[in-house]
Amino acid sequence: MKEHLKALILMLACIAVLIPFASNAPDGLEKVTETLRIGENRPMWRGLMPDYSFPTIENPYISTLLAGAFGILLVLGVAYIVGVVIAKPKKQQREDS
Amino acid sequence: MHIPDGFLSPEISALTYTIAIGFLIWSWKKARATYSQSLAPLLAVSSAFIFAAQMINFPIAYGTSGHLVGGTFLAVVLGPYAAILSMTIVLIMQALFFADGGILSFGANVLNMAVIGGLSFFLIKLLTKNSEGKERFFSSVFVASWLSVVLGALACGVQIGVSPVFSNAGGVAVTVPAMLFWHVLIGLGEAAITTTLITQLQRLQPAVLTGLAILRGKQNERTP
Repeated sequence: MKEHLKALILMLACIAVLIPFASNAPDGLEKVTETLRIGENRPMWRGLMPDYSFPTIENPYISTLLAGAFGILLVLGVAYIVGVVIAKPKKQQREDS
Repeated sequence: MHIPDGFLSPEISALTYTIAIGFLIWSWKKARATYSQSLAPLLAVSSAFIFAAQMINFPIAYGTSGHLVGGTFLAVVLGPYAAILSMTIVLIMQALFFADGGILSFGANVLNMAVIGGLSFFLIKLLTKNSEGKERFFSSVFVASWLSVVLGALACGVQIGVSPVFSNAGGVAVTVPAMLFWHVLIGLGEAAITTTLITQLQRLQPAVLTGLAILRGKQNERTP
């Protein structure tokens, strides 16, 4: 468990360091659609933090960092729960559901 | 490679959703039968890591960037079934909270990144042929991770190409080569990063490579 906490802190430190160096250029698919002049429609769902920016925070670095930290913790939590359910012995599963 | 909403026709959306859900049920059942209690923390940390890594785009060429997808990384760390589930969790959170990848195109994104990434496990298995040699294993990881991105891009090119939005632009005949062109390059980044990560993990924490153990046929070691 201690090692996993270490990994988590290391991850947060990594994005804190790497975010300023991340490329803002379009990715492969975006480049293809740009080249073909196909615009993205207005998305049907904009999410809470579109483009990994935390709302109401002006500073782009802090904004992305907060969104990233939020996302990391969110994925961590959800994946942990899924992992626990997967590893549950079969009988218990039946009682629960 | 995350397809946003509005690019896929309803038929393609429905088809990709159906296939993706089929794969998810399959990997869920397989994962239930394969993994032990020790999975949860590893699944949590590796999924969170892939989420973080996907945020950091690296420049490729001509004003284009790419980022690690991480399907093959997850496959080696977690094994194919948990890798598919792990990547799907990342994709759900990206679509719901960050508008990275659409809702209607979610099935296609699961196929292109989670399923193809997870299945690259079997390519590694095929390429290593139970050989214990490290060199051979690492080169298999390199090839499999490159191919997982290229095949994902191919699938993506087909999915958008057959959808009406792209028919005026030339359809599949244009979208597939264009997607392949960029992702042959982006895949090299993927392969370099994945191989480096796996090499370091094997050196520092060989115990966490659950997928590696499955690769070598030590599948049913249910550690408490």
